[in-house]
Amino acid sequence: MSHENATPDTQPWNDPKAVPFLQVKNVTKKFGTFTAVSDVSLDVYKGEIFCLLGGSGCGKSTLLRMLSGFEDVTSGQIIIDGQDQAGVAPYARQTNMMFQSYALFPHMTVEKNIAYGLKRDGLPRDEVAVRVSEMISLVQLDKFANRKPHQLSGGQQQRVALARSLVKKPKLLMLDEPLGALDKKLREETQFELMEIQENLGVTFVVVTHDQEEAMTLSSRIGVMTDGQIVQTGTPHEIYEYPANRFVADFIGSVNIFEGRIVEDEVDYVVVQSRETNTDIFVAHGVSGTVGQKVAIAVRPEKMTISKDPLPDMRNVIKGTIAEVAYMGNRSVYQVQLESGKRVRVAHPNRTRRGAHTLTWEDEVYVGWAGQAGVVVSQ
Amino acid sequence: MNRAPDIESKLPAGQFIGRILNRFGFRGRGLVIAIPTLWLLVFFLIPFLVVAKISLSEAAIARPPYLPIWEWSDGFLSFSFNFGNYMFLFEDPLYLSAYMESVKIAGVATIIALLLGYPMAYLIARSAPNTRNLLLMLVILPFWTSFLLRVYAWIGFLKSNGIINNFLMSMGVIDEPFVMLQTDFAVYVGIVYTYLPFMILPLYANLVKLDPSYLEAASDLGARPIVSFFTVTLPLSMSGIIAGCMLVFIPAVGEFVVPALLGGPDTLMIGSILWNEFFSNRDWPIASAVAIVMLFVLVVPIMLLRRAQAAEQEAAS
Repeated sequence: MSHENATPDTQPWNDPKAVPFLQVKNVTKKFGTFTAVSDVSLDVYKGEIFCLLGGSGCGKSTLLRMLSGFEDVTSGQIIIDGQDQAGVAPYARQTNMMFQSYALFPHMTVEKNIAYGLKRDGLPRDEVAVRVSEMISLVQLDKFANRKPHQLSGGQQQRVALARSLVKKPKLLMLDEPLGALDKKLREETQFELMEIQENLGVTFVVVTHDQEEAMTLSSRIGVMTDGQIVQTGTPHEIYEYPANRFVADFIGSVNIFEGRIVEDEVDYVVVQSRETNTDIFVAHGVSGTVGQKVAIAVRPEKMTISKDPLPDMRNVIKGTIAEVAYMGNRSVYQVQLESGKRVRVAHPNRTRRGAHTLTWEDEVYVGWAGQAGVVVSQ
Repeated sequence: MNRAPDIESKLPAGQFIGRILNRFGFRGRGLVIAIPTLWLLVFFLIPFLVVAKISLSEAAIARPPYLPIWEWSDGFLSFSFNFGNYMFLFEDPLYLSAYMESVKIAGVATIIALLLGYPMAYLIARSAPNTRNLLLMLVILPFWTSFLLRVYAWIGFLKSNGIINNFLMSMGVIDEPFVMLQTDFAVYVGIVYTYLPFMILPLYANLVKLDPSYLEAASDLGARPIVSFFTVTLPLSMSGIIAGCMLVFIPAVGEFVVPALLGGPDTLMIGSILWNEFFSNRDWPIASAVAIVMLFVLVVPIMLLRRAQAAEQEAAS
């Protein structure tokens, strides 16, 4: 769909000749009778930031722990840089991990924490010192080199953890909820720092997160996980605009879902009849379905327009009453009650200072969206 | 506003009592600290002062068997402190060597208990929660039997025609019984056996709290299990090691029952000396002086250790 302009340089996953750096082949992990990861296959290419995104208990952390060797695979194969990782202990793997809790050694200073991995490799003392101080400057902790972890703020601890996991120049860096413990503002800053460091060092990142915003900004590609399976893999843009199914559409961002039946099925459009809207919904892309088939249509709130006046140039227009207004500063989100009783969410940018006040509770409004705005998702 | 008194009368009982106490100048925080303070005062400080007083008095054939240290006569209050007891302790080499011997035996026993207790505590802390409770139970179980009986039981094991010797002789390993009872060896066995739980429990409490992600991080950074033990587990369990060693070393220095039952005539421990002075010689002042000196032998290293720890913490911050 969005692949037309793909260049092999920036999108190796579209290059059939590219060899994946990390290959996960049909990996399954069972704990007793519980299946945590079920038949997952995944290719990650060199230099990528690949995000595993999913709610808690979806198996993303278990998958990460199998990549670093803390858990054995029940079946399947993990290949890193051409080497099968079966039976390779964590300390023998050329991967490093940044732990969710950071797991900084509390009895060691920042310097010693970062030096720990290099010392284990038996590097000469002066080389260790040089590489540690390089790393400390990279993460801007020069003033804190002799402090212990408990004397640092959350953001500083996060940077120590990052430095410690990067100093060995791993082939593959695993990050488990790297920004989870930071507040929102710090998180945004750190995200960009992280991307910059990744670009400079050229390390391949596999990031586990439950935060879709984090996944969207950080990653080159996202694998959305639920119930131990990857349900969709794609760039942030693909995942957001072309969700493979209802779960992905719902999980990433907010979305309005209309259920209905296909009444017209052409090559480049479909028309869906839905009880929830009282009007037919026009979707400007073809689907592999048949007339009469039950489908769901996903429309993002920000792709809808809300107005007191009829919207003649919109392909889909429905009437409703404003039930809730949430003012978010840069935009307002309206919940509009349709005649069928269904509520839809419409996001409206606040372009003028007074814009927010022109629409209010109980107003009769028209909600419209263009034919390309909606997307048909499987159930 | 005018309904305020009504509201006050509806306060829960605890808060109501609290308010009354506050009115008389009592604070909850003060009360909480007051109880242990009072306990220590009545059961520790006062007996200590009594013993200190006796150690400065003169022995006499009387009841109690010492002379008072102050006297009131003809309008004069006269104090007479007898430091002779302390001087006597340093003149007679018996006491000095008994102190040294006690510290040596307690020190060696503490190290043996640490070497035995650490792996046990580690194993318990690493086992599944259900097994863990069972194993902890087994550690605590001996406390349910009298300590005296358990030490007596060791006599049955260690004596020349005891279980160990009989077993070894019947197996043909030895022809003549080992002399184990009434030796320093038996004293070590007794002390290590008696105080091992005091080593295991604080170590366990420390090790069970150790975040496994530290070990995973060490492993991830290239440390083999044995290396991560010495670089992560051991330094992080240092407070448990210190607590366990204190809990074993301090009572072991003053141990009396074990050397009396298992030790021989050569085993000179300060606890036995103390017992002899009190009950055989009925020399309370000397016995008290022995006890006071022992207290200093124990308190001084503890103080030094605490000061070192405080300094280390200060240097870190």
